[in-house]
Amino acid sequence: MTMLRHAAAIASKDLRSEFRTKESINSTLSFSVVILLLFAFAFDPSPDMIVEFGGGLLWIVFVFAGALIVNRAFARELPNDCIDVLVSSPASGASLFLGKATAAFVLLFGIECICLPVFGILYNVTWWRNLSGLLGILALGTWAMACVGVFISALTVNLRLREVMLPMLVYPVLIPAILPAMMLTNTLLTGQPIPSDFMVWLRLLIGFNVMFTTLSVYLAETVLVR
Amino acid sequence: MDERNITFMFYGLAVAWGLLAVYAVLLGLRDRDLTKQLDTLKRMVEEKK
Amino acid sequence: MRRKIILALGAVALPLLLRNLYVIMFLVPDEMEQGPIYRIFYYHLPAFFTAALCYLTAMVTSILYLVKKDQKYDAIAVSATETGLAFAAVNLITGMIWGRISWGIWWAWDPRLTWALICWLVYFGYLMLRSAIDDPTERAKNSAVLSIFASASVAVTWKAIEWWRTQHPGPVLSIRTGGVQKIDPAMEQMLYVNTVALLLLGLIFVLVRLRQEEVQREIDALRRYAHAMN
Repeated sequence: MTMLRHAAAIASKDLRSEFRTKESINSTLSFSVVILLLFAFAFDPSPDMIVEFGGGLLWIVFVFAGALIVNRAFARELPNDCIDVLVSSPASGASLFLGKATAAFVLLFGIECICLPVFGILYNVTWWRNLSGLLGILALGTWAMACVGVFISALTVNLRLREVMLPMLVYPVLIPAILPAMMLTNTLLTGQPIPSDFMVWLRLLIGFNVMFTTLSVYLAETVLVR
Repeated sequence: MDERNITFMFYGLAVAWGLLAVYAVLLGLRDRDLTKQLDTLKRMVEEKK
Repeated sequence: MRRKIILALGAVALPLLLRNLYVIMFLVPDEMEQGPIYRIFYYHLPAFFTAALCYLTAMVTSILYLVKKDQKYDAIAVSATETGLAFAAVNLITGMIWGRISWGIWWAWDPRLTWALICWLVYFGYLMLRSAIDDPTERAKNSAVLSIFASASVAVTWKAIEWWRTQHPGPVLSIRTGGVQKIDPAMEQMLYVNTVALLLLGLIFVLVRLRQEEVQREIDALRRYAHAMN
């Protein structure tokens, strides 16, 4: 219980400082919109085409945005050695990790919710026909990204090349979560419920989340406390 | 059976041997480099004593 | 002592590899449908076995490092990963050459191919992370954690891509088909013999690499010592 309370305190601290400076929200949001725009130039999609690769396109935008967000998760604490203070505080490594991941999740999910209407307008897609399902899949995929991303950003925080290193390490590990998220988003964008043969993808996505959340919480202490 | 079949077989075997040989050579080079470093350091430490 | 073991292993492995090459090129029969190209298979599959064993070793020693905090395990993990990458590269590229003839394309987005490529990228990332961290303890700890993460992801990816699509030929070895003989026994036997040869070679690579890690640590210690004397 204490662990969750500490995690909530850290998450709210992160979110508060982010909403005051808005440094990563603004840059990530504009970056995502620019990518959505560039894809329209690259493919000049017709309505049939966008049904086929809309989910993939959205998730590519989201993973790019995700790399920017999770990169800040621990890098934010580097000036003034805040990270040492956090580590030596009563909060355990696991709650520190959970708090950071929750904050990244909230930021990313917010950005995704803004990207969806922009995507709908630019590509002429009626994306809200199965809204609850779509938001559910977004939440699951985003948690996978936040969890793995924040964890690996804790590994790379002290490196000089961390901006390059982080996506290179995160993306291949994230493939088994992003692949089902893309497939499911594709079908949900058409407004149909998830077909029964796609349930295996949903299970995979949930399984990935459970597995990696457990693993990260378990290993967080080892990584953070030196 | 066309001729490319047998040519590509040779390519395949050459790649398998070639890649492993390249890795072995890289290991050897690194070995030499490390030994040289170690010798220089040892001599340096001896002189300082 | 270590040096003698490596030399002895080399004295066994090299003649065996050369003999196998001779047998593979001149003595084994052609496969009926594929012709000579199938001979690539004698390197393709054993290289995969070696790489898989290396990845597995890396996972186990990474966990052991986190439990025991002994640099020895970290050294084994990095040696195994690097050797695994070399053999995985052999596996991937011979597979591509085979695919060019049998499928007409260099690359197919088939589960096994895609999985092998993802594995390669993941473990290459592991080596990149290592090279970026200077402090030995921090490097050992962080890369051990990444290695565990990577192997968990690689295991899930295997399942994920299997559902995605399949084009790669299925298992042919009798141990995988439940005793049904899918290939000529002479071919299967040759495959095992070459697997032994490549595994021996892999073991030699790991041992050499392991010694290099130890020498590197000795060098670092001497540097610190020399520095302290000033």
